[in-house]
Amino acid sequence: MALDFLKRIFNPNNVTIALDDIQALILRSRPVPYYGTVAVFEINDATQAKLILKELLPIITSAKDWHKNEGASVTLTFTYKGLEKIGLPKDSLDSFPEAFREGMAKRAPFLNDVGVNDPKYWEKDFKNATIHIAAAVIANSEEHWKTKLQEFRAKFSNNKGLKLLKSHDFGATEEVKNVFGFRDGISNPEIEGSGIDTPPGFDRPLKTGEFVLGYPGEGDITKPYPQPDILGKNGSFLIFRKYQSQVADFNKYIQENSRNPQEGELLAAKMVGRWRSGAPLVLSPDKDDKELGDDPHKNNAFSFKNDEFGKKCPFSSHIRRMNPRDSKTFVLEDERLHRIIRRSVTFGDIVPPDVTKDDGKERGQYFMGISANAMGTLEFLQKQWANDGNSQNLGTEKDPMIGVQDSEGLFTMPADPLVKRYRGLQTFNIVKGGEYCFIPSLSALRWISEL
Amino acid sequence: MSVLDNIKLTAELVKANFSEGIDDGYDHSTTSAGKKGLRSGRVSELTAIANLKPGGAENLKKIMEIANGNLKGATKVGTLHDLRIVLLDNDTKILFCTAYDGDWDAYIDDFATKIPQLMDIIFGNVEGWPGIKDPSVKQFILDHQITATGWYVGVPHLTVNDVRRNDKIITGLNKVIDDANKIEK
Ligand code: HEM
Repeated sequence: MALDFLKRIFNPNNVTIALDDIQALILRSRPVPYYGTVAVFEINDATQAKLILKELLPIITSAKDWHKNEGASVTLTFTYKGLEKIGLPKDSLDSFPEAFREGMAKRAPFLNDVGVNDPKYWEKDFKNATIHIAAAVIANSEEHWKTKLQEFRAKFSNNKGLKLLKSHDFGATEEVKNVFGFRDGISNPEIEGSGIDTPPGFDRPLKTGEFVLGYPGEGDITKPYPQPDILGKNGSFLIFRKYQSQVADFNKYIQENSRNPQEGELLAAKMVGRWRSGAPLVLSPDKDDKELGDDPHKNNAFSFKNDEFGKKCPFSSHIRRMNPRDSKTFVLEDERLHRIIRRSVTFGDIVPPDVTKDDGKERGQYFMGISANAMGTLEFLQKQWANDGNSQNLGTEKDPMIGVQDSEGLFTMPADPLVKRYRGLQTFNIVKGGEYCFIPSLSALRWISEL
Repeated sequence: MSVLDNIKLTAELVKANFSEGIDDGYDHSTTSAGKKGLRSGRVSELTAIANLKPGGAENLKKIMEIANGNLKGATKVGTLHDLRIVLLDNDTKILFCTAYDGDWDAYIDDFATKIPQLMDIIFGNVEGWPGIKDPSVKQFILDHQITATGWYVGVPHLTVNDVRRNDKIITGLNKVIDDANKIEK
């Protein structure tokens, strides 16, 4: 769709990073509409796997021409176990961050993956950490998707080096709604040096090092990255988390806590921070505005600076927690250090707001987040911003969308004349598994294939 | 300690607790605050001892003098219940103690971009301080941190933000009460 494309203006004079070495997923917007497949593999045999990798190299897509976002892209990433299995030298393995080496399930205490989100309830491939490689094929048309997927499959169909553990097709229409019926995938940070030209009123791009390894980040600090240089530089890390969405429970909660459907829609929007159309509450506080939600020039051009008391968009709403955009802070923190590029995809069908009975079907999203410091960022977001309320001056209140709710299940909604306090929220999005993956640069992939 | 001594001490403690302990309904138990340190409810302790650079103690005293002994700048951090700097062993060592909300290590990067000079002015007096922007700073702090043997917090379930918010609410409430009680003449 042309709209998203308009929003992200490319200026070749602004390119200072090696776009042709960086994997496309980091910079390409998800196309609209999109079609795709995520697949996870186990490596049976390192030598064979390296052969497949060599075969695959030509179809792994770089971030060059990210702004055109044409056709299909192929992404290939490794878990720590995968890097180990394919035979990275020990000192290379040791140069990866501790949280990455341990894997997501082991980091549960640091991620507040407790209660219903406890790894003991995760799907077995995640629980047992058997995933070595995660790959994605994402395209802007069904045709491109199918062709590329076939090409991808052909590369390893006759080879026993890789075992396909699971693959999942997904897609979304023009509107890109998640299973709750809310537009998703609107707000993403831009990266300095990618060639992006941000129009006035939009967020300043973030320092390259926040998202690509080997460059200075915010505060001009270049963090250590995996070694040797060819392995780490131009790479990044991916957070992969599978969520099951309890939409009927959410709808039921909204119904039981509002007097009429309009009030219910407002409450639901207050929890997210945007209306179903994507229109931000700050720009349209009283009712949904589809035109605004559809307009990529406007639907993300706002900050919370003038919503000092959260009367338009509650401090506790999902988007204000995840990106406070100039909110008054109650704790010394730098909001530009905790940003994440989201490339999440939805699976399963949308449940309309009047359905309050769970049909037991699988639906939700594969949350995919990218950051050069993905592990630290996810741990920060999960512990400080999603599962606590101290940063928002809200005690122990949690994110209404992704928090693991306790017996209180509180949601605070500033309002006139009196603030409203809702109780008994449930955990509406349950983690079913997750893993951290390394997104090697194209030269790193070649280096690995030649080990 | 012999088994007998052990039993005796336990018995004495139980007696002392029963006669002197008051149940305020709060959970005063402690857990680990991460790699080091103890936590009670929302409040953790950080205790560290380190050698000072030559002249470091003088610098620190000068800083306190310039600040007139008022460290209100620390309010900015938002999570500090208290902090204490003590010079030990003829001004050759520093003892740094603080009671703070939540986690400190999650915020180290934020300190490095938000208050780098302040951190380095104070801790730059410590022998071997790598600088707040150095990737090894977390480990440096951990290496000098000593987990407390005992940790008690009076009101463990409230953060500094909670206390401030509650204080505002009470002030507002008292004003309403005072206004309502005013005798019009
Ligand atoms: C199934 C779980 C989730 C659902 C249903 C969900 C839903 C949403 C929706 C509807 C938006 C607004 C649209 C947009 O700005 O793109 C949003 C934004 C966002 N979400 Fe989530 N989300 C989920 C999980 C997560 C997780 C796990 C994280 C990070 C740990 C996260 C971080 C963010 C961020 C950073 C934004 C953008 C905030 C901004 O820049 O304004 N979300 N999410």
